[in-house]
Amino acid sequence: MSRLFTVALWAALAAAVLFLLLPVVALFLRVPPDELVAQLGSERARDALRVSLTTSLVAHALIIGFGTPAAYLLATRTFRGRALVVSILELPLVLPPAVAGIGLLAAFGRSGLLGDELGALGLTIPFTQLAVVLAVCFVASPFYVRAAIAAFEAIDPRLLDASRTLGADGSRTFRRVALPLAAGGLGAGSTLAFARGLGEFGATIMFAGSLPGLTQTAPLAIYDSLDEDFDVALALGAVFVLFSILILLAAKLTPSWTRSSSGSPFPFARSRST
Amino acid sequence: MDVFAASSLRDVLPDVDDAPRYTFAGSDELAAQIRDGAPVDLFLSASRAPVQELREARLVEAPVVFASNRLVVVVPAGDPAGVGSFEGLRRPGLKLVLGGEGVPIGDYAREALAAADFDAALDNVVSLEQDVKGVLGKVALDEADAGIVYATDVAAAGSGVVALEVPDEFQPEVRYYAAVVADGDREHAMELLERLTGKAGAAALRRAGFLPVPR
Repeated sequence: MSRLFTVALWAALAAAVLFLLLPVVALFLRVPPDELVAQLGSERARDALRVSLTTSLVAHALIIGFGTPAAYLLATRTFRGRALVVSILELPLVLPPAVAGIGLLAAFGRSGLLGDELGALGLTIPFTQLAVVLAVCFVASPFYVRAAIAAFEAIDPRLLDASRTLGADGSRTFRRVALPLAAGGLGAGSTLAFARGLGEFGATIMFAGSLPGLTQTAPLAIYDSLDEDFDVALALGAVFVLFSILILLAAKLTPSWTRSSSGSPFPFARSRST
Repeated sequence: MDVFAASSLRDVLPDVDDAPRYTFAGSDELAAQIRDGAPVDLFLSASRAPVQELREARLVEAPVVFASNRLVVVVPAGDPAGVGSFEGLRRPGLKLVLGGEGVPIGDYAREALAAADFDAALDNVVSLEQDVKGVLGKVALDEADAGIVYATDVAAAGSGVVALEVPDEFQPEVRYYAAVVADGDREHAMELLERLTGKAGAAALRRAGFLPVPR
């Protein structure tokens, strides 16, 4: 009986692995390697990768710059409405990207909520790289913020107290004690958010449009190439697979995770019960 | 029966026959799906190239032209950017949205702009959309100043947008092609095709603003 159970477990695992691996393998089988390299040299593919990389890097800097202090505050202080604030920060996780796109248009579009104010500053956001950056920030930031809250929460509060009693002020404690201790978790959240941002599609196509060399990111180029340059679509897809494997490996090799091998590499924020 | 049809036929086809299951999208995208083996019986394309490709691969029977259309410039209601006319598309700094490469509405629009020698208008393009819907949406939301779509799309779009004429001399030949898909339900496909090219179809197409095929 228990033998049958074990077989069932292995069968389920095999089915899951096969199902997830097959599309990835098929992608590489359909483009010969030399063709893949040739397609990557095409202007279309290079433009798309360049747009993707620049916008993702800028968005990532914003996510880390705002997300880290925000997460530290949420992890180390209790205040009324904290749970609500955390929920707001997590909302984009459950929002369909197309809804995010409409929302961004309704807020920052030319005829949106802030349209007149932005217009007075001479800013029109839709159809610009700034729009791509905002779409990526909106969709990817929760992945970082959740991980960052969890990482800061995992620090033994006595260490932070000790730092303060030894004379370090709040800012110094944050920089010299909290940040180094949370580095592993922050790195994990950061890679996950970066990967999610690179793959952003729905909010971008609605908010930023799709213009090669300006706002057409790699996922938009894949979709756009499907009908005519199927090889470009496959080549870009293959690059994404390779890149994603690199990201996963980088995440697996982050030292802090060696502490517990059974847990998910991406810790999520806990609700604060103490 | 399953019919793949160009987005611009969305409103008129159910009037011709509401029995088939219709899928509407950019003709080039639909052709790509048929190439990949989508189970469909009749293909209605907004331009020649997608059908032609399928024909060469022997995936469809000989195509038939069944309607034609005109291009218009579409602007948000009230024309806030003051485009005014087809010539207005040349004004520097205008935000113009077109269909992408290979998307019929995009290729037709570039044909019209090339015929008019409006290189400046091409510099105004801020986004290349996947189909008519994408172009209309960006204009109706007042995020783009202008777009180029089919005359029949404007009636369907409602009050959010207004059409400006594209002069006759720059109009490309917009032709709709019907092709029976090989290995499909040929009998029913032919039936719909006959209805589409017959009196009832012509009347419905005319009501929706499509033009008869010039002889």
